[in-house]
Amino acid sequence: MTTAQPSSQTACAAAPSVAEVEASCRLPVLFLAFSGAAWLCAGAVLALLASIQLYQPTFMEGCPWVTYGRLRPAAVNALAYGFALQTSFALALWLIARLGRVELAAPLGLTIAAKFWNIAVTVGVFGILAGDATGFDLLEFPLYAALPIFASYACLAAWALVTLHQRTERELYVSLWFVVAALLWFPWILSTAQGLLLGWQVPGVVQAIVAGWFGNNLLQIVLTSFALAVLFYFVPKTVNRPLANPGLARAGFWLLLLLGGWGGLAQLAAVPAWIPAVSGAANVLVIVPVLALLVSLWQTADGKIAEAWKDNATFRFLLVAAILLLGVTLRTAVFGGHWTQFTFFATARTDIVLLGVFGLAALGALHHIVPRLTTGDDELPSSGLADVAFWAALLGVLFVGIGFSLAGFAQAGVNADAGKAFLKDGVVGIAGQLKLVTVGYGALALAALAFLANFGLAVRRCCAACCGGAR
Amino acid sequence: MRYGPILGAGALFSLACSWAALVMAPQLQLGALAPAPIPNSSDVHPALRPGLAAQGAEVYRSLGCYQCHTRQVRQKRLLFGARLNAVGSNANTVSLELPGSGKTNLVNLDLLIALAKARPDLGIAKVTVPPPLLADTNVVAALGQFTANLALLQHADDKAGIVRPTSGPTVNDVAGRRPAEILVKVGPEAAERAVKLLTDSGAKAELVIYNLGPDIERGWGARRSVARDFVNDTPVLLGSLRVGPDLASLGTRAPEKFAAPWKFAGTNTAAELEHRLLIHLYNPRLLAKDSTCPSATYLFDKQKPEVRYAGEPLVVSKELPPVFPKHNARALVAYLLTQRNDVSLPEAPTPAVAAAPAGSNAPAKP
Repeated sequence: MTTAQPSSQTACAAAPSVAEVEASCRLPVLFLAFSGAAWLCAGAVLALLASIQLYQPTFMEGCPWVTYGRLRPAAVNALAYGFALQTSFALALWLIARLGRVELAAPLGLTIAAKFWNIAVTVGVFGILAGDATGFDLLEFPLYAALPIFASYACLAAWALVTLHQRTERELYVSLWFVVAALLWFPWILSTAQGLLLGWQVPGVVQAIVAGWFGNNLLQIVLTSFALAVLFYFVPKTVNRPLANPGLARAGFWLLLLLGGWGGLAQLAAVPAWIPAVSGAANVLVIVPVLALLVSLWQTADGKIAEAWKDNATFRFLLVAAILLLGVTLRTAVFGGHWTQFTFFATARTDIVLLGVFGLAALGALHHIVPRLTTGDDELPSSGLADVAFWAALLGVLFVGIGFSLAGFAQAGVNADAGKAFLKDGVVGIAGQLKLVTVGYGALALAALAFLANFGLAVRRCCAACCGGAR
Repeated sequence: MRYGPILGAGALFSLACSWAALVMAPQLQLGALAPAPIPNSSDVHPALRPGLAAQGAEVYRSLGCYQCHTRQVRQKRLLFGARLNAVGSNANTVSLELPGSGKTNLVNLDLLIALAKARPDLGIAKVTVPPPLLADTNVVAALGQFTANLALLQHADDKAGIVRPTSGPTVNDVAGRRPAEILVKVGPEAAERAVKLLTDSGAKAELVIYNLGPDIERGWGARRSVARDFVNDTPVLLGSLRVGPDLASLGTRAPEKFAAPWKFAGTNTAAELEHRLLIHLYNPRLLAKDSTCPSATYLFDKQKPEVRYAGEPLVVSKELPPVFPKHNARALVAYLLTQRNDVSLPEAPTPAVAAAPAGSNAPAKP
């Protein structure tokens, strides 16, 4: 732990012990982690059912609640709000408490806010299935779910920032930069987007621009920041070295904030041409901060990667997440423009960032955090289940990402050539790639189940240790 | 870094930059966009949707049609051309028919020279005049002028290194049929020069435009979609994925451009298209065997409903019993029929031949 806390000597004398910090985290973080993983499973199943309909249109037909147009947004929003954001709160609370050496403020209040968040997400998913989706990507929750989401987020973030303010370790480590930036970024983009789309209702295509801006910020800044926070916490910790080149990390952090928010609109067609042009340039420029951050991590772990891969379940997840971050940035920069417009290529980006970059980093972190908070060990009880979770998640993300990307390329070829038959080549012709996606979502659901089973084992062992004597 | 507030302020500044550029600036540019008047009519585009179609937009959103269909036509290039509409006349126009023959065969000699200048790839033939006409001094003067112009043209050709073919079509043939496409799919300068040459010679010529791109070739629209097409839409469901065809101009699409092409049987094309779209909603695979669009059978009643205006039953096919479209099905189809982008806008013109019929949201005649 000392390696990730560069200036522990400045810590206040009144700093709580690690055990006290972890005790304060137990309830809210475990609740958020468990609900997040459960939503990952539920969202993956919804996405799986939706993906089958893409090549098997008679599957589950005849019921409007489960038609593709509702299942797919329900799945994506369940994954974004139920899994990704919820899990990121667990990670944020844990990182603030551990790195700030402070007990969480109002653990019970945080748990209640998290409960309300889950209720709101459930209401939102059912609202989409009932046909109340707003029609904006990643913002499909109807207003009656979107407002409670914002309210519970405000409570969660406020208590998280109060905790940060009370920290005894005054120096802010890199991970906390990302956590603070993401915690502040999210309410700003959410309130802007909800205000302009559902409240004030800006006219015409400006709505699509605002929605695209929100979606990109959510993926590129908020979720990527949480993933990077996890990477910067666990990589130095696992290899037991201080972070190499913090200056590079600092430059990368600020550049990511400055450039990351400009992408995401490169694929809009019916807008003034400067908007996709600016976004396309930003998609390329954002390679610089991503490279800077990853180089800083690589320099830290260099030489110990193979060893850490073998010994540490968390590190495996993180390594793949880091590679995927580089991969998704490059592929968006190179192919993310006009050519792949209106294809599954953009869908692939959402899924890789949600489930790959963030999802794998978060699952990896939870494989360390959950045992710390339950059994007090550094690893979950069943290493077999941890392996299943890792390989299933890895294959799931690869299948979904590759399947959607290849389908996107095939569609792009058809879109660019009017001589090709749209239905035969561009719709029926991509069934093979989409079947890969279905398998991928199945694997992701399996990974979530394996993690949840391991989670259950850890909780059971913890309970047996506490009250086993009474029985 | 020790101070959280500095971090927060830096993040706020970064976000404010991207907000100003990608939220504020587009709103300033597009926020005041208004429907444009349609030339030669009192209507505007886009027109407000009638009530049923407005309800259909809600069905479109609610069922998530936008998850698979875009409503944005893309255009790769805009090219130009010159079209000759009438020969016109001036002092150098001669009739090659004998007076009293009852026929007229006017030849605008200046136009021939202008055409030759606009089309260096075509030859130019001498004009032969029936001998009795040579007594007419006007004809003689015009022919003299023409011969002098031909010599000048020859001189200019030699200077520019242009060698005109001696056989094949000549500008004289081109001038003989109207409307004649003089230049097709060229840059704006060449087209404008040709139009100026032709109009200077007294002919009636116009600049024509060619919207090009795979979407337009597929018949999905007459021009690209622009921000103005959506000023009345809330929420604006542009769509970002094409698992189904683009719907931006579904209401005016030619029947042969559908995934399952067909031909209009009668003159009431709007009703035929509506019928076709209702069948598509009921079961897309009745029309296009391979379609992966989910069927919306829940928008139809099997039995005649107990309401006053049940509407006509829908005969879906010969084997199946007729069904009764619910209100939502009719609304969705009404919404789809309002999808059109054939109206010329200043920022996105359409070719003149495809001019929109003035009037309502009814689909244009194909």
